[in-house]
Amino acid sequence: MRARAVALAALASVSIVGIGWQLGSQAIDASHSLALSAVRTDPAAVADAAAAAATSAASATAAAQSGTFTGSVVATRFGNMQVSVTIDASTITDITALQLTNHDGRSVQISNRAAPILRSEVLAAQSASVQNVSGATYTTDGYLQSLQSALDSAGF
Amino acid sequence: MSLDTRTTRTGPAAVKTPRATSPHPAYQKRMRLADSLQILCVASVAIVIAIFLADGGAAKFATPADAFTSLGIIAGLVGTDLLLVMLVLAARLPPIDRAFGHDQAMAVHQSLGKPALYLILGHAALLITGYALAENVNVFAEVWNMFTSLPDMPLAFLGLALMIGVVITSLVVVRRKFRYEAWHAVHLLAYLSVLVAIPHQLSVGNLLSEGAIARYYWLALYVAVAGAIIVFRFLLPVTRSLRHRLVVDRVDAVAPGVVSITLTGHQLDKLRATSGQFFVWRFWANGLWWQAHPFSLSSAPSERGLRITVRGLGDASQQLPQLKRGTRVSFEGPYGLFTENARTSPRVVLVAAGIGVAPIRSLLETVSFAPGNATVLLRSHSLGDTYLVDELTDLCRVRGAELRIIAGKRPKGVSTWLPADAARAGITLRKIVPELLDSDIYICGPRPWTDAVVRDARAGGVPKKQIHYERFDW
Repeated sequence: MRARAVALAALASVSIVGIGWQLGSQAIDASHSLALSAVRTDPAAVADAAAAAATSAASATAAAQSGTFTGSVVATRFGNMQVSVTIDASTITDITALQLTNHDGRSVQISNRAAPILRSEVLAAQSASVQNVSGATYTTDGYLQSLQSALDSAGF
Repeated sequence: MSLDTRTTRTGPAAVKTPRATSPHPAYQKRMRLADSLQILCVASVAIVIAIFLADGGAAKFATPADAFTSLGIIAGLVGTDLLLVMLVLAARLPPIDRAFGHDQAMAVHQSLGKPALYLILGHAALLITGYALAENVNVFAEVWNMFTSLPDMPLAFLGLALMIGVVITSLVVVRRKFRYEAWHAVHLLAYLSVLVAIPHQLSVGNLLSEGAIARYYWLALYVAVAGAIIVFRFLLPVTRSLRHRLVVDRVDAVAPGVVSITLTGHQLDKLRATSGQFFVWRFWANGLWWQAHPFSLSSAPSERGLRITVRGLGDASQQLPQLKRGTRVSFEGPYGLFTENARTSPRVVLVAAGIGVAPIRSLLETVSFAPGNATVLLRSHSLGDTYLVDELTDLCRVRGAELRIIAGKRPKGVSTWLPADAARAGITLRKIVPELLDSDIYICGPRPWTDAVVRDARAGGVPKKQIHYERFDW
């Protein structure tokens, strides 16, 4: 290549890669704030929990309700996560994954692997405070966030 | 060295033109096109890296699993981009032929083969490792996982296997064992290899998933490359052959085993061929139809016909002298930058050996120079051994070019383009043509001999842009 072509090609490449880097920083910041919001509970679920607490206080029953409760849909960059939890006599007996990240084949593979692990851990711990499944951070976050909103609506 | 300087100059004495200070305008235009194409190629690699970064890729190196996975993704993106560049280089695009010449484009194509393969192999190895680390399994279990739980992976592995086959058969040591047509048939599997790998690129990773802008860029790239290949590599040659309906008109013996074949057809001026260019010819006769041969024109193309001068060497070429009048001929082309379009300087030196005299003969007819500013050097074993020498002599006389025939056996063990006694006497191109530095030098002959002439010219101080030669081993 001539010197002139090398210089122009280098300039073009640096600009293009720079734009990519810039867009990437925004994407990284966005995903950080998403991770933070996963810790905070879903405001709709909080409202539901407050309403359920009010009715349960009125019915003067201290024990959690029994039945199947559906959690909120949590949107992640790899797809939506939604779980439902079955509670019987103050014990979590089953968790069903209604929606798993399905954005692409790899995400499906990851969430198919992580969902059973999370299910058995939650059943063992009887709460949503379980360890992250390594390599499946987004699946774990979405699963537990949806689970927590289901537990909240059950008054668990 | 037997030097036969036929006094052919009847025009005025050599005009001393001053050294061209500003380059030929055609050269400027061509170099700008060449620059643009090269910048586009580099930019395409930058774009795929930017696609990776724009997805937040810079943060995906935190754990070993992430790092392997990210490197695997980058390797796949860059490797596939290089593969697409290789396909475009082989697609016979007119701008690429105009800027670099088809043979130069194929040389770059060859040089990209191994890097592209290594990147794709790295893509597979790095991703298998990264996924295995993330899922805490060994690599064999991970490969099994990929086959069973990821979509389109069997096709992806097939694409990789085909690609390995294509590259291995293209290694010089392997390629030599095959006849050209068999090797070429295997090589065309490269198209299949690229095609079967597309589904997994669109369905497995998050980078090119539904809705991402990068997905549309990727698809647009494939559509553009496929379109270019279909049009310029396949459709255009077929329609041109059908439109111009070339047939063999005459077959004239030039020397034992060497014939000139004249072809006629319709609307030949629309072909826009120029002296020095070549076509890839297919003669529809028994024993010849399954081979396609690149031969240069040996006279200036005109509405009246095209002429090639060929040596009957090699399996099917032996039958060329027996071609019958009226045999249909299909062709691809015209291609090549061994033409007036490569000019940069006011003077011209044409150097030929053996059957390489064919494009030189056509160039001599039309290449532009003032009388006295051109030299033709013919290299042969003995004085009577040069093809088309009568035509060359007449043209030199008419146009005012100097003709020199350099005859003699080449020395054993010494790498030179000259005969033994000339090499010993320290003759160089510069000594034969004093105004060498103001000349465009066109060289055509066997490859090692051509390389020796090029070395001599470079040693004499001629810039690369003034030295023109064509390779026919692609």
